[in-house]
Amino acid sequence: MNSRDKILATVKKHQPPLSQLPELPGVSGVRHLPEPRDGATPPGSPGRVGVPGAAPQATEDCTSVFISALEAIGGAVYIVPGFGEIADILRERYPDARRIVSGLPGPAGVAEHPEAIGDPHTLADVDLAVLPAHFGVAENGACWITEQQMLARALPFIAQHLALVFPRSSIVPDMHAAYDRIAALDAAAPYGFSTFIAGPSRTADIEQSLVLGAHGPASLTVFLVDEGLSEAGFF
Amino acid sequence: MTPQKEHAALAADFNKDEPRVDWHDQTLWWVRRKRDVAASKVPEWERLRDTASAIKENVLSQLSEYLSQFEAAATRNGITVHWAADAAEHNAIVHSILQRHGIDRMVKSKSMLTEECHLNEYLHEKGIEVIDTDLGERVVQLAGEPPSHIVLPCIHKKKEEIGEIFHEHLGTPAGNADPQFLTHAARLHLREKFLTRRVALTGVNFAIAETGEFVVCTNEGNADMGAHLADVHIACMGIEKLIPQRRHLGVFLRLLTRSATGQPITTYSSHFRRPRQGQEMHIVLVDNGRSAHLGRADFRNSLKCIRCAACFNTCPVYRRSGGHSYHTAVAGPIGSILSPNFDMKKNADLPFASTLCGSCSNVCPVKIDIHQQLYKWRQVIVQEGYAPAAKRAAMRTMTWVLSKPGVYHTAGRTGRWFMLHVPFMVNNGLNAWYRQREMPEPPKQSFGEWYKKHGHEQQG
Repeated sequence: MNSRDKILATVKKHQPPLSQLPELPGVSGVRHLPEPRDGATPPGSPGRVGVPGAAPQATEDCTSVFISALEAIGGAVYIVPGFGEIADILRERYPDARRIVSGLPGPAGVAEHPEAIGDPHTLADVDLAVLPAHFGVAENGACWITEQQMLARALPFIAQHLALVFPRSSIVPDMHAAYDRIAALDAAAPYGFSTFIAGPSRTADIEQSLVLGAHGPASLTVFLVDEGLSEAGFF
Repeated sequence: MTPQKEHAALAADFNKDEPRVDWHDQTLWWVRRKRDVAASKVPEWERLRDTASAIKENVLSQLSEYLSQFEAAATRNGITVHWAADAAEHNAIVHSILQRHGIDRMVKSKSMLTEECHLNEYLHEKGIEVIDTDLGERVVQLAGEPPSHIVLPCIHKKKEEIGEIFHEHLGTPAGNADPQFLTHAARLHLREKFLTRRVALTGVNFAIAETGEFVVCTNEGNADMGAHLADVHIACMGIEKLIPQRRHLGVFLRLLTRSATGQPITTYSSHFRRPRQGQEMHIVLVDNGRSAHLGRADFRNSLKCIRCAACFNTCPVYRRSGGHSYHTAVAGPIGSILSPNFDMKKNADLPFASTLCGSCSNVCPVKIDIHQQLYKWRQVIVQEGYAPAAKRAAMRTMTWVLSKPGVYHTAGRTGRWFMLHVPFMVNNGLNAWYRQREMPEPPKQSFGEWYKKHGHEQQG
């Protein structure tokens, strides 16, 4: 018997009686954040609306929770009406960036906007990558970006700095909602590779001192584009 | 080969430098407190733990089906799936892939499984250079040591020591111990490796039976830098890392990093489903004792572990004895219940390296009954005749004393007399219990003696 069959046979012999999968929080249609009693937030309950970790409901709450979550892990967030503003802010934030690669047509003029990238090693000198993403997650500041949005899988990691752009309205409250969203996106366009990015690359391996910019980007700037642009069909 | 020192002896070595022990203890407790803050911000935290534990319960009950499902899906996705019965087969598979490409150097991101299999040493003997790319792992690799913590591999090292190691190996200025500076030096050093190595090996945090994809979580981005620049990506995982469906990640990713470091999520949670155009992708599914472990009803649910290390950070013994005292790839309370499954004789000391306080079980995001398993392992180890020698002798005496009431009462009186009149006979170097302790004031009489005198006063 080869190793595969041997392993599978032993596992089958030893596995305990069937135990059913549990209901997942959030998927039953009832969000897991309890309704405040008498219209007030009960005292002594941390993590209510407006605090990262708790699951907010409305778009307004989602935006503010997303922003505080991402800022807490070292990211910067801008709410912008359009691409013009993105280019202005990037020029101001990264005045020394020489090579800028963009996956969006907007910041053209300040950036390369290639159709595709052959050898990822040619990206070694990219100072700033500007890429679209699908959505953000309010509870932890993570942004979901699929291979189709990256130009090359290596780009969001190899660039010295990273900017992500997505509609403000697309922020979801928590990871359960995120995976509901991912299932829908994936049904339309399956990804070969995809990632959540939450803040700049970081390490605290030396005496627990936090350092931003371990191997990946040393900074992350997220642009939340206000409704107008997404309605115009850019996303 | 010198015999492996037991946990207590290694812990005694670690405890020679008291200020360092205090620093180690406080640093890890600080990480534990960050976990508490993060967990308390999620109102449904306990429900998440229950859900995660129940999902893993289901995984264990259908593991053979999920493994087959995963293999089929991953293969459809263009990934080559390998099966390794043990560490030797795992190492040989990795080596054969390297050989086929004529490659003698590669980068590797964090993988406790490859530590368990001693892959680096094996490949080194075959003339293959492995560069660990996680900063903490690179530090211990340069120092010639194994990681002392599964999430924070060089938590036992002071920044001055790391500065010294970098000075020697990377040419940083002598005496510079600034974490920002040293991290930047490592960034430049490792970037060159990422750009020049054609094979990257990564670990796996979660593999999804439904879709055949796998997820790798890092803060540094080193797994992604390696994998996306390499022609060949090899991912190695224990067979227990499977979860049924992608949506289950919603539960596990909410728990993992909050439990580990108090962050809401790792910087990168990368989902690999297909090799990129022109790339080769391999998955090695490793058993190495796990299928046998699954058959031990009392111990099987330790296979639920998601390697967050919350139990390390909270453990009063780990914090004060250091990861190396556990002499295994996975230290801490979870390592102490996993390791006897691999080798009961070699790891017989580990279930005794605990106060059984239960803090590990309280912080475990998948609700493994760690302290109860520690207690159960002690019994199994004693029954199988593997108990450490000093414990065996002490327990034989204890059995004799406790089985004879007359001897018990005499022993109690004698003990109290010794503690009162000649305390050095008890509190000396031969009695491990008193090494870091002061003697208590012995009572003049036992409860038994007191009750005989005063018991009647309470009646009526």
